[in-house]
Formats: sequence, C-alpha cells, structure tokens
Amino acid sequence: MTGIAEKLASNQKQVAISEFFEKNKHFLGFDSLARSLITAVKEAVDNALDACEEARILPTISVAIEKLDVKKDIVKLIVEDNGPGIPQKSIEKVFGQLLFGSRFHAIRQSRGQQGIGITGVVMYCQLTTGRTTHVRSKIAGEPTAAVVDIGLDTRKNKATKANQGREMWYNADGSSKEHGTEVTAQLKAKYQKGRQSVWQYLRMTSIVNPHAEITFTDPDGEVHHWPRVTERLPTKVEAIKPHPHGIELGQLQRMTSESTDSRLTVFLRMNFSGVSARASKELCVAADVDEKTKPKSMNADQIRALLEAFQGERLANGKPVKLLNPPTNCLSPIEELLIKKGLSKTIDSRFIATLTRAPEVTQGNPYQVEVGLIFGGNMPADKPVEILRFANRVPLMYQQGGCLLTKAIESVDWRQYGLDQPGAKGVPKGPAAILIHLASTNVQFTSEAKEALADNAEVIEEARKAMLEMGRGLRKHLEKKKKMAKTKEKFELINDILPAIAKKSADILGKPVPDLSGSITQIMSAVISETETVWNKETKQTDVAITLFNYTTRVRAYTILATWPEKSGATMINNDTGGRKEATGVWAWKLESLQPGEKTVISYSLGDLERGDWTETDIFFRGSQDVIGASKMDEKFLEEIRRLERVLTDDSSEDEDEDEFEPIESIGEPAVAPPNGQTTLFGGEA
Amino acid sequence: MTRRHTPEETKAAMHVIVGEMYDRMVKGEPPTMTLPVRTKNNIGFDKKLGVYKYGKKQSIRDATSLGSAKQLLRALHVVEFIEEMLVAGKSSTLREMYYISEAWGLGKFGSQNESNNLAEDLEIVTKCLREDFKLRPEEDGARMIGNLTLRERNRRGEWMRINARDDVGDSGYGVPYNVEAEKIELLEHDIDFIMAIETGGMFDRLIENGFDEQYRCGLLHLKGQPARSTRRIMKRMSEEWDLPVVVFLDGDPWSFRIFASIAYGAIKTAHISEYLATPSATYLGITADDIVAYDLPNDDLSKKDIEALKAELTDPRFADGWWQEQINMMLELGKKAEQQSLAKYGLDFVTETYLPEKLSELGLA
Repeated sequence: MTGIAEKLASNQKQVAISEFFEKNKHFLGFDSLARSLITAVKEAVDNALDACEEARILPTISVAIEKLDVKKDIVKLIVEDNGPGIPQKSIEKVFGQLLFGSRFHAIRQSRGQQGIGITGVVMYCQLTTGRTTHVRSKIAGEPTAAVVDIGLDTRKNKATKANQGREMWYNADGSSKEHGTEVTAQLKAKYQKGRQSVWQYLRMTSIVNPHAEITFTDPDGEVHHWPRVTERLPTKVEAIKPHPHGIELGQLQRMTSESTDSRLTVFLRMNFSGVSARASKELCVAADVDEKTKPKSMNADQIRALLEAFQGERLANGKPVKLLNPPTNCLSPIEELLIKKGLSKTIDSRFIATLTRAPEVTQGNPYQVEVGLIFGGNMPADKPVEILRFANRVPLMYQQGGCLLTKAIESVDWRQYGLDQPGAKGVPKGPAAILIHLASTNVQFTSEAKEALADNAEVIEEARKAMLEMGRGLRKHLEKKKKMAKTKEKFELINDILPAIAKKSADILGKPVPDLSGSITQIMSAVISETETVWNKETKQTDVAITLFNYTTRVRAYTILATWPEKSGATMINNDTGGRKEATGVWAWKLESLQPGEKTVISYSLGDLERGDWTETDIFFRGSQDVIGASKMDEKFLEEIRRLERVLTDDSSEDEDEDEFEPIESIGEPAVAPPNGQTTLFGGEA
Repeated sequence: MTRRHTPEETKAAMHVIVGEMYDRMVKGEPPTMTLPVRTKNNIGFDKKLGVYKYGKKQSIRDATSLGSAKQLLRALHVVEFIEEMLVAGKSSTLREMYYISEAWGLGKFGSQNESNNLAEDLEIVTKCLREDFKLRPEEDGARMIGNLTLRERNRRGEWMRINARDDVGDSGYGVPYNVEAEKIELLEHDIDFIMAIETGGMFDRLIENGFDEQYRCGLLHLKGQPARSTRRIMKRMSEEWDLPVVVFLDGDPWSFRIFASIAYGAIKTAHISEYLATPSATYLGITADDIVAYDLPNDDLSKKDIEALKAELTDPRFADGWWQEQINMMLELGKKAEQQSLAKYGLDFVTETYLPEKLSELGLA
C-alpha cells in the first residue's frame, strides 16, 4: 500500500527527459514561447526571493533579457541577486536535480509550491538551444565566486557540469560583490509586452514583495526599476504539523506506518496540530481503537475509522470530537500598510484601500486573504479593472476567468460602491486595480498549470467580505470627492465668477462696483471646510491644512477633529493651534468663535512618515450647524477607540491619562459665550 | 408683430437685464436673470396671432450655482460685445461670437450651442431680434424654384430683380439669412401654392420631373429643421401673396416636429412665433396612413422615435384630433417611412401619382 507516490515518481524518471518535457510542458509553464520566458524568470526570481528571505537579506534583484537571434527566437536571460550564495558543491544539486530541497514536505506558506523549480529551466535551455546554463555564486567571506556550466545529459537523465572554477566577481562600479548568485541562460523564447509579460510578472512581484528592489532591463535596453519601499522582511514562518481536518487517507496510512510511537494517543498529539490530550483520547473512542494501540500495527479498517473520527463522521459521546484550530504563525501575510506601499509605487492613483483579514482555517489548512483596491489616477475609466492575483506572494498571470479570486471579485455588486458593472455581473469597469492575495499552507489549484485557484466556498466568502469592506471605503472616498468638487465649485463661484459679474455689470452701466459680502453670504450660507494633505519634499513631512470659512451671518463655534496615523508611529509637529488628543489617532481643536465672513486655518505637519503613507485626512466636527467638507462626529466611533485604549492601558498607566479622557457627555457641544449683543445658534441673546 | 429696434432701444433693453443683476448685488443678494420657461409646458396658443407663444411661467437663473453664475457672466460679455458692434456698425455670426468668447476668460462659452441659446435668451428677455443685436445665424437658408419674382438688395446696395425659375440654375434661388423688407421685396408670381420639401433628394426629383411647372407651384427645400429665414420667407409669401403652403416631409416623429415649427412656431423660438410661423400651412405627407395605403418600404421605430412620439402626444401643438390620430397610428404600426421610399413604384410615381392624389384631397390639383 505504501509509497505509491514515490513509485510513480521513480517511474517517471525513467521516461526520457525530452519526452517528459514534451508531455508536461503545459503544466511546467513552457507551453508557449512567451510563457516559457516568464516561467524561466519566475523560477529564478522565486529562488532569489526565497533564499534572501531564508537568510534574512533584503533582496536586490536584477533581470536582463537580450535577443540573441530574432529569427530563431533565441534569447539570453540573466538574473542576479544578492542572496547568501550557494556552496560550490550544492550548485549542481540546486540546478541539476529535480525536486531538490525540503519545502515539499513542510507545511507552511512557501513560494515553491508552484513550478518544478530552476532545474526545469536548465532542462528547457538544454532542450531548445543545446546550451548549458552558466551559474556564478559567491558566499560572504569567501574571496572568490564559484562558477560552473550546468547542463543535462538527456540520454542518462543526469546533470552535467563543465568549466567549473573560481573567479573574482566585481559589481558594475568596480567594487567586489559580497554575496549573491547569477544565472545566465539561453533559451528559445519570445519577449512580449502587456498583461502577460515578464514586465508584468516583475511588477506584480514587486507589489507583493515591497522589501525587494527589482531592476529589469528589457530587450530594447529600457530599464524598469521598482524600488524597495520597506526595510522589513516578511515574517519568518514556522512549519506546522498537519491538522486532522486536512489529511487524506494515503497520508494517514504513511504516517502510521512510519511512526515509532508506542501509543496512538501520543502519535495523535505529537504529529498533528490542534489535537489536545483530551481530544486524542476522544478520537480513539470515536474510532473505536484502543488508545494503547501502536500506530504502526493499525490495520486498514482502523486507519479508515480514525480518519472518519477526524472528519467528525464518527462520534465520541454522541458528538464530533472538538479539535483546536491549527496555529496560524505558519502564514506570512504582506499586511495592509506594505500592500499599500507596494501598490502606490507601481500605480499612480488617488485612493488606496488595503485590508488583511484575520487568518482562517478551511479543511484543516490555515489561510489568510488580503486585498487592495487602488482607484483613480491615469487608469482607463472604460475598461475592466486590472486584477492582480497572488497565491503565497506569487503572481498568477493566466486563467484569470476560472480563478476563485476572480470569482470573489465578480460576486460583489460593485455598482453600489461606485464602479461600473453592467448587469451587476462580471469584472467591474473603472479606473481601478484590485489586488487579491491568498496566503495558505495548502493552495489548491484548478489544474497542474497552477495559474487559477480552485473553488472553495469558505475562501470565496472570506475574500468577498474583504471586497465589501474595501468597497465601502471606495464609496466613502467617492462621496467625499463629490462633496469636495461641489465645495470647490462654490469657491470658484464666489472668488472668481461673482467678482467678474460685479465688475462687468458695473462697467456696462457706468456705476461703481458693488460690495459682494452680502451676496457671498447668501450664496454660500454655510460653514465650509477645506482640507489639504500634501507631502512636503523638502521637509520630508506630510503637511496638513484645515481651513474653515464662515459664510453665514452668525458667529459659529465648533470642535474640529482630524484623523492622523498615530498608530503607525507618526508624530504631530508645528501644530500651532494646539488642541488636544481626543483618542488614539484623533486630534481635536476647539474653535470658540468664527466670525461671519472669517477664515480660520489649522495647520500642522506629520513627521516620521514616508511619502504615500498618509494622503487623506478625515475631518469631523461637533456643533449644531453642518460644516460642508466635514462629517458630524460619530461618538460611537470614538467610544470604541477609547474602549480599546483602556483595554491596552489598563494595567499600566490608567491614572496618568485621567484628564485626557473627559467623559464623552461633557464634551458634546462646546460651551461658547456669544459676543455681546449677538445671537448665536448656541447661546441666544448674551 | 415683433418690431425692429433702433440701436438705442436695443441698448436700453439690454441694460434692463444688466440692471437686474446689479441691483440684486447692491442689495446683498445673488444676481439673477429672469426669463420665461422654454419647454413645451410653457407654450400656449395665442388666438389673436394664431400661433403658439410662451406662457407666463418664469424661471429665475440665479448665481447660486456655478453653472448659472457662469451663464450670467456670459450674458454680460455678450451684452458688452453687442454694444461694441452697435457702436462700430459691424455684425458677426453666432459662430464668430463663439470664437470671440475665447478671449472672455471665465465667461467663455463651452460650446456653440451655449452661445446660440444665450443669444435666444437675450432676444426673449429684451423682445429684440437677433438682427437688432447684429448677430447672424450660421445656417444657410433654403433653396427655392418656381415662377416667382423678387427683388434682393445685393452687397453693393443695388436692387436686383430675380425670377426663381428663369434667372437661376438647377440649384434654385438661395434664400439669404436676412429676408426682411430692407433686403428682400416680393414682386409678383404666377403660381397656385408653395410646397416645402424636407430632403434635397426629393426637391431635385420634383425639379427634374418638372413638377413646379406642371402643377404651378413654388418649391422650397427646407434642409431638415428649417432655418429662421426659411420660415420667415415662407410666412411672407403666404401672407403677402396669399398663397397656400403645403409641407411634404418624411413620415417620422421628427418630421412632425418640423411641421409644427413651420405652422405653429418652434418651442425654442416661441417668443417670435408670430414672426416666423405660417399658421395656414398644411401637412401633406408622408402620413402614417400613407405608409399603409401606399404599402411603403419602412423602418422600425427606434426607442428614441417612440419617446419622441409619446412626447408629441402631450405637446399642445399636436393637441388636435387629426394629429393625435396620426401619432397614435404611427405608434401602433411601429413603423416610419422616408419620402424617397415612394421610389419603390418608380421615379415618376411621386409626381404622377402620389402628389396629385394628395393635392387633390386639398383641392390644389
């Protein structure tokens, strides 16, 4: 019964490599000349990113493609990284041996779940051009780099090496390279532009790997550069044990037969995640197998019964056995802020929302959905939005229509969030791009091509929820934009058009230009706020200016509140208007008396942020008359923030902040004494 | 009858509009411009004049929104521009004014439609004609053929006598944009009626077939929705020579509208209906009946056609029984037909069969 997979694999090795390739090229990623090039780049870049991540190095990767023979479609590909380098004796294994490495056995999120690795590229080069692949690699501390040409003996199905040696490795600026690997390959392939191109693959890779610096020189000699936007490496992920819900019969059979444990309960506790001591006993009861049974001696029926107990089909005490969820530290999400940075460096836009959902479990496998939505800028308004799909940080570029991630996007009625979507079906249209990333220990694809994720109702629902939340953000943004446009119009009206009307009519009639303050107040008849949030190149700060105009006939008083990224470590500077902290991330200023026709400016700067971190400030007000351009403060929202703060500060400094947190009721309306003889909305006759 | 104004009268009338804006600002209020509502809901039949005119509904354009404020500013620029022309003794086309507005900064027009509409607004409010404003239309007038003689003052100031049958080529006499007495005098004719025709193809067909001589009529090519001068000269011929006017158009909702503007006055120019409309004009065809009776090749009504027909059902100009019947019949048929579909029965069918039959119903043949 055992080792079916191994047997199959060894059978396969006996097939001539060329035949193996020919038969399987569609799922190896070499089914067209254009895709072959993307696959080759992908394998090399994935290796570089994985190696850097493992060694905790911030990756700097350069990719160059040259056309060697246009008629025969022969191109040269050079991929260089600054990874830890490969020891000389391992180079042959990494590049010449199929399925080298341990990542196929560990249960954690890894890039390597896709493709057959760099060996496939070496094979493809050998088969299409007859050329070996040149590898140069240097480890830190060693004075020279190892060089070798790797090929494949297609008759013996074995790696070959030639021209092995060591040499000095210099950077372009003449300094010597500290560590890294460079692969130079010649292959039959075609360079294409557009949505399915090396350029797009690298662009997408750069979005989900904001810690990487990627440079691409295309065949026309044009250099594309995606800078590093964070110094933070992805979290190191832990390997976890399989969860009973995600196990299949074959795997369970192999695990029991290889087990050296003396008791079934110990086996269950030690080899699975989510199984407590109590659960291990209950599983034995449910499976009707004695807990003292040696796992190795279990028969096929017992193993099957155990699997049924795992799946809750067999009960203990009339109930399915309760299992804990698997730990989720095996996942490495990109996280909201970094997705934001990744997106904003590649796409110019006006609005970005990103969201990382909490980890969930489906069929015993932890997974996590992350989404990003970017809107506006130069993106075309009449075309379907660009969909950027990722599985474990690897871009998915083909089979968009059949992918779970696309279906999740299509399941949302985007019309209510401000995107065009004829018949509320299909991919929405508009100047937007939607990013969707599934991080999982076990990514299920629709086919071996590994380009589309297979349906899973739970994952779709999770992704859909994320979309809805982002959609609400977009709607809010669009509503705000509309309001702002209206306000801007009003300002143009009173600042430009009205004075022109006054002057021209006076000229025609030969009369003096009339005073306009009365007309202006009548036209506006409101308090208006204008907010500007701009990045200041010189000071490297984000400057915020909130301007309030009182275009009413009365004195007004308000408390103005503004959001700021306090939690992201921003500092508030040059805040001359003072005010006070209202809650985490919310600052408040009391404006006691805004005279009719008067303008007040609150300005401050935010330090310790980078460009693009904070582009929109939300403004709220407290006061009875509406402020155009601001929203009425939702006190529940503040209360919620404060509640969270209290929870966090409970054991440390509860007393210190006492006077910072006035009870909400007492804040309410600002107490304003109206000036003598004037009526205000707040006070009546003074 | 709307009368012509002297430059001084025109200027004074325009200053009333400017004064309204100015006075409101002095009072501390947003400037405004008051003008009649220009939709079918505000036109009514004037029994004395026999045409449809604007009713009493007024709309106030005030400067509380950016769009209206810009309209007011544009109106002021136009007033200033007209005053300059009155002083200099010049005139300009509406299109020229549109381009001149490029220099008006915030007051410049977004499209020529805007400038045309504003010129009409000013006409309505001041009760002046655009001729008083020294503004000329861009659209050229109609072509005319038939045994009728008129006198036109040419650009050298000399009067020329022109017979629209003997002194013209196949394209006929071109009607100038100004057909007022200072430019055109109607001298004499030897025809029994005037026939206005929608399409150039049909106009040329009737000429080629010698219809004007055989049936003793003047033919007038409308070129779609007729220009003001076309409607004005029809009106003058009908009144001064006491001639019947028959109108021969395609059989579709848009042709019905053309007829209404000829006979009852257009909604857009209802302020000068009595000056442009020919209340005695008769709709000859193509009628909804004709589509059936002559089994004409036809097209399905489009969504827009249907909307237009439905709007016509509630248009006071189509309130009479015959029109209601025709419109409803066309809606039921769901079909429309072009004038030239008559060619189904040969090139001479229209002149030998269709028109004689239709005209004899009216006692004109």
